[in-house]
Amino acid sequence: MKPAAFDYVAPHTVREAVDALGDTWRDVRVLAGGQSLILEMHMRRICPDLVVDINHVAGLDRIGLDDGTVRVGALVRHQVFESPQAVPGPLGRLCANAVVNIAHPPIRTRGTLVGSIAWAHPASEWCAIAVALDAVIEVRSSGGVREIAARDFFLGPLQTARAPDEIITSVRFPLLGGSTGVGFVEHRRTHFCFAQVAVAAAVTVHDGLIVDARIGLANCADRPVRARAAERVLIGADVSAANDHPFADAALAGDHQPVDHPFGDADLAGNRLPADHPFARAGRAAADEDAAPVDEPYADPEYRRQVIAVLVGRTLRQAVADWRSHAEPEGGLR
Amino acid sequence: MKLWTRREDARLLTGHGRYVADLVVPGCLDAAFVRSRVAHGLIREVDCSAAREVPGVVGAWSAADLSELPVCANEAAHLQDLPPVPRTMLAKLSTEDAVNGREWPSLAKDRVRYAGEAVAVVLGEDRYRAEDGAAEVTYRIDPLPAVVTPAAGAADSVSLFDGLSNVAFRGTAGEPIEEVVWRRAAAVVEARYRQQLLLPTPMECRTILAVPEDGRLTVWSGHQMPHRLRLELAKSLGWPAERVRVVVPDTGGAFGSKSATFPEYVAVVFLAVKLGRPVRWIEDRMESMSVATRGRGQDQRVRLAADEDGRLLAYELEIDADVGAYPHLGVGLPMQTAWMATGPYMTPRVHATVRSVLTNTMVTYPYRGAGRPEATAALERSMDVLARRLGLDPAELRRRNLIPPESFPYQTPTGRRYDSGNYAAALELALETIGYDAWRAEQARRRARPDALPLGIGLACYVERSGGEPGGLHDFAGVEADEDGAIIAHCGAASSGQSHETTFPALVARTLGVDEYRVRLVEGDTDAQPEGLGSFASRSAQVDGAALQNAALLFAERARERAAELWGVPVEEVEWSGGTLYPVRDGSAGMDLTELVKATGPLRVHERFESGMGFPFGAHAAVAEIDTELGVVRVLRLVAVDDSGVVLDPAVVRGQAFGSAVQGIGQALYEGIPYGEDGVPLMANGLLDYLVPTASEIPPIEIKDTCTPSPSTPLGAKGAGESGCIGSPAAIVNAVADALQIADPDLLQMPLTPDVVWRAARAPKYEEA
Amino acid sequence: MNITLTVNGDDYPLDVEPRRVLADALREDCGLTGTHLGCEHGVCGACTVLVDGEAVRACLMLAVQCDGAAVRTVEGLAGPDGEPHPLQRAFSAEHALQCGFCTPGFLMIAAGALESIGDDPELVDRLVESNICRCTGYEPIRRAIMRAATDCPPASDRSPTSEGS
Repeated sequence: MKPAAFDYVAPHTVREAVDALGDTWRDVRVLAGGQSLILEMHMRRICPDLVVDINHVAGLDRIGLDDGTVRVGALVRHQVFESPQAVPGPLGRLCANAVVNIAHPPIRTRGTLVGSIAWAHPASEWCAIAVALDAVIEVRSSGGVREIAARDFFLGPLQTARAPDEIITSVRFPLLGGSTGVGFVEHRRTHFCFAQVAVAAAVTVHDGLIVDARIGLANCADRPVRARAAERVLIGADVSAANDHPFADAALAGDHQPVDHPFGDADLAGNRLPADHPFARAGRAAADEDAAPVDEPYADPEYRRQVIAVLVGRTLRQAVADWRSHAEPEGGLR
Repeated sequence: MKLWTRREDARLLTGHGRYVADLVVPGCLDAAFVRSRVAHGLIREVDCSAAREVPGVVGAWSAADLSELPVCANEAAHLQDLPPVPRTMLAKLSTEDAVNGREWPSLAKDRVRYAGEAVAVVLGEDRYRAEDGAAEVTYRIDPLPAVVTPAAGAADSVSLFDGLSNVAFRGTAGEPIEEVVWRRAAAVVEARYRQQLLLPTPMECRTILAVPEDGRLTVWSGHQMPHRLRLELAKSLGWPAERVRVVVPDTGGAFGSKSATFPEYVAVVFLAVKLGRPVRWIEDRMESMSVATRGRGQDQRVRLAADEDGRLLAYELEIDADVGAYPHLGVGLPMQTAWMATGPYMTPRVHATVRSVLTNTMVTYPYRGAGRPEATAALERSMDVLARRLGLDPAELRRRNLIPPESFPYQTPTGRRYDSGNYAAALELALETIGYDAWRAEQARRRARPDALPLGIGLACYVERSGGEPGGLHDFAGVEADEDGAIIAHCGAASSGQSHETTFPALVARTLGVDEYRVRLVEGDTDAQPEGLGSFASRSAQVDGAALQNAALLFAERARERAAELWGVPVEEVEWSGGTLYPVRDGSAGMDLTELVKATGPLRVHERFESGMGFPFGAHAAVAEIDTELGVVRVLRLVAVDDSGVVLDPAVVRGQAFGSAVQGIGQALYEGIPYGEDGVPLMANGLLDYLVPTASEIPPIEIKDTCTPSPSTPLGAKGAGESGCIGSPAAIVNAVADALQIADPDLLQMPLTPDVVWRAARAPKYEEA
Repeated sequence: MNITLTVNGDDYPLDVEPRRVLADALREDCGLTGTHLGCEHGVCGACTVLVDGEAVRACLMLAVQCDGAAVRTVEGLAGPDGEPHPLQRAFSAEHALQCGFCTPGFLMIAAGALESIGDDPELVDRLVESNICRCTGYEPIRRAIMRAATDCPPASDRSPTSEGS
């Protein structure tokens, strides 16, 4: 498991990086965190001719705020988002909830958010958030700058609309307002594997009713999915009707964390959503209409649809709980 | 205070351990193997020519190329062809009959029989260059249909070896049970269980470094049985065993999987000798996952009968074992399950049959537990089904049937003679430790609430076998003193993490009454210890410990004899105490061992020692709750009560019991090898696909022990270290079945992944009896 | 390419191919074989080392990426006089190793975060969850890290030369 030989350049400016990518090489790869790329190179499933290491490029390691959006540079590592304050408002909480599901700390010290989006693994947490929130991917080549909407960016497993001579310099997310609650729930078999399903949700509440809902699904199709059918179900739903009794995080995540109290989670009674609850209906819509799960070991499409339905419901409850605990102290329903 | 708890720690914690990959040998070449991406097929062409042009590649060969390798002026000149893989001769793991007509070439010649089988080998100046070469080798293989389950293999619609059945071995234990027994029984339960294939997954994969020098060959390998490796490699080369030295340096875990001579080892040794150059193969993780030996792999059908009081009447176990593509290493391994089918119960009639079936998978071989987890899972799951049928508490059903302490030695219907035990004591301790009654109350409370997460309690009583099989129950040990007064203990074992360096000197020191640090251990070097068997079957303490104790006692005896001769007194008048010899009568000052050795020369005792079989036992209990919407199993508690007889170092034994239990959790819930239609394992992302438990998955585990000394060895020790893999999987699966109250036990097959559990949760529940 | 790795305070001028991963450079070129390769795809964590104070997988970084960086490996844990690091003592005391192959990775991931544990005991879980051990079942490792965090005076770590008291 040793990489094949390649040439290597470590430019200091985006311009130099773009020049390197524009060369006439057969296979040029951008190295940022490298936590997927170098893995693939070990397996020799990727054998680049040239690796462009952008880690020395100035200015790409920043999170910038402008005009209601947050711009994440290509060198911002996953671990930055572990702090909910890294990004203002509900988006910061959403990122913080999501990022702990990405591998484990030594991977998060190297890997980057933009790298995950460039890699476009169907199970990627960041990709699901990107489609849910209509993120914009900013790419640069010798021809100039291009902006690609997330919905147009992901074309299939590890396939994107980025051209080989383009480099992603940043991804822009819209900031979420104070009346938005967020949730992120992931289901996987052990701590160390890809998500079987992950769901990101952001719901905006006005006068006790959901006025906007955004749901992103990871590993529910050959690319990240925005669950528009599920979102439609939610518009106008009354959140006071939601039984948003928060699950223990472990139960929500489908995680296998042992519990400390001797009799486990005995008191989840009543936490199963009634089938006609809007969140349950949204879950069913996501599973049946939005998702297109492919077969994989231990998760055939039938089982995956079940998980999607359940996880969407749980994520929405988490989002409502998040809205309640953050929005109300700041002055009630806005 | 001692700086280090174990002697090994001083180097292993500071980066100064020496595993094979850490050894620096100038001019050493790295081997990389070109592996078939096809599970079953006919080799039409293997072309290594492009690989030979790659910079840094020293050579590249298919099997056919190797026979044309120029004869070089050295001792192996007569070796024309690459020798095939030798068969295991120990513990009836393989048989002459099974191997006859079925050659296992070290590099596939005309046919591949499992995905990953090597079709060519490339040597490079380092591993990077060797892999560069391997990437340039091309081959053409015409695929044949692949069979990856015992049922498909046994159907013989696809033959792995032309003209021969895929059923390579049949065996039985116990006498057939007449139909009338089943007819007259008050309750009979039947079920089918799958014991899935597992990857042992030591953190260090397999390693071998072969250094030819002065007409001899030194082989460094992370290995459990250095003397076996020496013998089999020497035989392959046509050499006397003395010309091969095997050295086992630090070994990064083994769990049974590092005790054989593997195809790659034969190829590496052959090339080293042919080329007269050091060659090493450091297996990488992806290779290990595709071509290291697997464990388990049985499809079982059981029948268990009891009378109306719950007394067991008869038990029948039919095993279709998936032994992989070649019968050489483990075709007889499923007999361990058959011989242990009786379990800890007084069942009067037990009959077990084995069919070992060749399939297009890598070979099945002992993995921690090796046949006993399969026996325990089948019986203990059936006990729970029976308890429900009879309306008895599962603990009570077990109580009524456990072999009582006064019945030992106990001759089982399947041919074992259990040495000693107090099985009920282990069960009661497990029940008490987990708080059985309180959990049953909690379960009742939850069952009354339709939305509560279902909760189940699972038990597994087990008895296993340690030490080895007849013919392999011995080992060799020695105690020596040189003129500096240091005492050196020798034995045939080889540690892969079991703390021999600490525990064995402590035992010898205790036996001799000297300071622990005066004794040092030498093992894992066939030059320093000419004969030995190794570390397998949980035997280190039971067999090698007893052998060392025996050698130490003889050593003290010899020292007394020498002193007696020196002093001109009868030996009865010389006393050994704390490393000093005293004349009993005249009360004069004693003579220290060091002085004795200075006066009379080095003192060396080397002895062969034979142990009986040991039968460790215990009871494991698990509590699990199920998120039925997702199928997620959360183990809330796991209790393991093990009886390993007299233990040498309780902390070391507990450590192994804990780690073993975690591997048991792995089998129960996470680990398995899915295969595609083409017979290729679906594990392209390595350890992101084959999921061993991480710290996240570990429930609160409590390890307890009882102590019933074994009469089979003077130390009273039974085997330790495998118990968790034997007892825990059945306990966990029983807990899940209990939580879900499923009527059909066949629906729960390991690993209990969320999809499996979700489906089982929707299946019909049994009627409360 | 010519690079200089600063490992445990010592400079190693090396000429490496760009493809050489940090773990191989440490093991083969610097002769520091305490860093082990257990999977070479970033999962097991046996190769975890500190680069500029942060835990990384040495199999998923190229040596050329570490030109000029300060790398710390298990060989640099003990003090200059050979006094064992609190983690080394604690691992031994708690039987947190058996075969020892995964141990350097656990030691280094813990070493990189030891001083933060006092404020965040749950951090220990996240650290132990990051690597694979097949022998111990993890619990002794968790105990050892907790013990070392308790024994370890604050900010005693980071620099390879600042310890050994």
